[in-house]
Amino acid sequence: MAELAQPRHLDVAAELIEDAPCGIAVTDPDGRLQYINATLSNWLALNARPERPRRRLSELLTLPGRMYYETHMAPMMRLQGYVREISCALEVEGGPPLPVMLSGVARRDAGGSFTRFDYTIFDARERRVYEEELRHAQREADELAAIVRSSPNAILRVDAAGRVRRWNAGATQLFGLDAEAALGRQVDKVIPFEDRPNWFTASVAPGCDGPEILFEAVHGCGRAFEVTLAPIGERGLPGEEDWSVILRDVSRRYAAEQHLRVMVDEMKHRVKNTLGVVSGIARQSLGRDEAAQFVSRLQALSQAHDALTATDGTGAELHDLLDFARREAGGAARLHINGPPVRLGARQATSLSMALHELVTNALKYGALSRAEGHVQVDLDIEDDGRLRLLWREHGGPPVVPPTRRGFGTKMIGLVLKAELGAEVSFDFDPSGFCFQVIFMPG
Amino acid sequence: MRATERNNVTATGASVGTPLVFVHGFGCDQTMWRQVLPAFADRHRLIVYDLTGMGKSDLSAYVPNRYADLGAHAEDLLEILDELQLAEAVLIGHSIGATIALLAANRAPHLVSRLVMVSPTPSFLEDAEQGYAGGFSRADLEGLVGFLDENHLGWSAQMAPTIAGQPAGSEATEELTQSFCRTDPAIARHFGHVTFFADRRADFESAARPSLILHCDDDALVPMPVADWMREKVPGATLRVISATGHCPHMTVPDVVSAETRDYLGSG
Repeated sequence: MAELAQPRHLDVAAELIEDAPCGIAVTDPDGRLQYINATLSNWLALNARPERPRRRLSELLTLPGRMYYETHMAPMMRLQGYVREISCALEVEGGPPLPVMLSGVARRDAGGSFTRFDYTIFDARERRVYEEELRHAQREADELAAIVRSSPNAILRVDAAGRVRRWNAGATQLFGLDAEAALGRQVDKVIPFEDRPNWFTASVAPGCDGPEILFEAVHGCGRAFEVTLAPIGERGLPGEEDWSVILRDVSRRYAAEQHLRVMVDEMKHRVKNTLGVVSGIARQSLGRDEAAQFVSRLQALSQAHDALTATDGTGAELHDLLDFARREAGGAARLHINGPPVRLGARQATSLSMALHELVTNALKYGALSRAEGHVQVDLDIEDDGRLRLLWREHGGPPVVPPTRRGFGTKMIGLVLKAELGAEVSFDFDPSGFCFQVIFMPG
Repeated sequence: MRATERNNVTATGASVGTPLVFVHGFGCDQTMWRQVLPAFADRHRLIVYDLTGMGKSDLSAYVPNRYADLGAHAEDLLEILDELQLAEAVLIGHSIGATIALLAANRAPHLVSRLVMVSPTPSFLEDAEQGYAGGFSRADLEGLVGFLDENHLGWSAQMAPTIAGQPAGSEATEELTQSFCRTDPAIARHFGHVTFFADRRADFESAARPSLILHCDDDALVPMPVADWMREKVPGATLRVISATGHCPHMTVPDVVSAETRDYLGSG
């Protein structure tokens, strides 16, 4: 400091203060301005309005800064002796406010009384833009974080090796393990699933396609979860990607489905039992021949029902129905079947099995199957438009005579197949062998 | 939690004598009163505390929905009076703290003898229709709330224990930086909004207890017409205009504030 006292250094010091790359202001302890350097004066464009002198530091600031000065800065200067990096704006004569950062320090005399307050003021235009972006990003992050925090689902971030990196409150709630205990551990050990020992590694193994992986599994504790895995994709390096893992407790839905399955099984039993009871009543109520015919029709219905049962009632394989018909007909030698597998809808299966039963019964009584050397040829073809053509042709039977009255069988075949299948149905009473053709869209 | 813990209540002064309860304003905490307290320590019980959400109060107790109304702070104050079994208390409030004290006195006049209001204002907002010159337009006040938001980033730096130009690490400065004006930025913003948009003129007009109003002649936040309004409309009010700059005379001219208060309390 002694050297500075030389005239040359004093000049330098004075110039430094006047033209410093920051604004400098000095006030008395009440905030009245004592000195403003040239830099600050230029920023404020004070020369533009000499008739409006600014008496106080707070008058250099825009209104919010003035209020902040009164409520925060002035008390702080007195209580802690400084303020640091207050973000505020200067009120520039004839121009837009200039964002600045303001710091101040209180000076005291030997007796401890305040003598003056010194302030430095930095241009913060660029910083303000950056801070605004930062605040925006922070708000956005806060909002997203709130969603994750308050979700009842377990939402985890897991690294490529399966170690837990993030563990939300929902996960703590569902698995009774707080974040501290879970972090860094292997996710498939922390959340073990029955029958899926290494579910994470197995799920994310290369070759798994699609943007997300979805499965359901039962946790060791007995609850069922729907698990969604998706690569977070920030780094873009396959194999080094973190994954988001979301687990939703679907135990209630699982239980409901279980209940439904039991109900469906129960219904199947009841249908079979009811058909059995109806057969019993028919045997007691009808004449022997009629009862036999009626019961055999019920059996065909029951068989169709069995075929449907195998697929949970959603449909049946046509070959299964033809197998039943072949057994009724007396085996593979009597009924030849040729054609691709065809999946039928539930109603199609029921009505077609009844029709096949009638055809077999007729063939056994009057047609090709009434002779030892006769047989039936069934050909299945899928037409260009996707429709199925089923052709029933009898060979080696007695000469065919067109029926004089249509029995239940023919009526059933004609009406039901047309109505239920929307099928084209045709009968051909060719003397060399009875022919029947049905065309419909399967499924 | 007891109110005395929640609000970081500090009791000093004499063990007997009329209790004085000090209520700080927006932006600070109980340390604001430290230069005023010694003047009363020999003859009064002195109670200072931090408003819920400020200073060293329990920040988790600041439920924004509840504290959207200044009445919640008044209830806190009454809880403190109740827990300390204070009667005939004198409530001394600064700025919005004065409003809180007045609301408490109106709710429980039997617990309060008198009020001392330092730089109070019933409302910062202009009301041209009613001819009330509060000093600020709604746009002005909204600007302030945005400003509080902006200073959130600087908040942690404010609290850093390093002090420019001060002897670092000294015990006194350490203590101050740890406590002074410390609050959560979200609470500061909320309380700022509640403070500056509060219009409590009706409560001031129905003051249940006599009061001393200390107004600075050079206050950038409370213009003179507001002081005149209070002299005219507040029942039992004595207005004293003191010559001081700024909004915090208890900090800038503590001796004057103490002397005025002592005169007022001694007057009856």
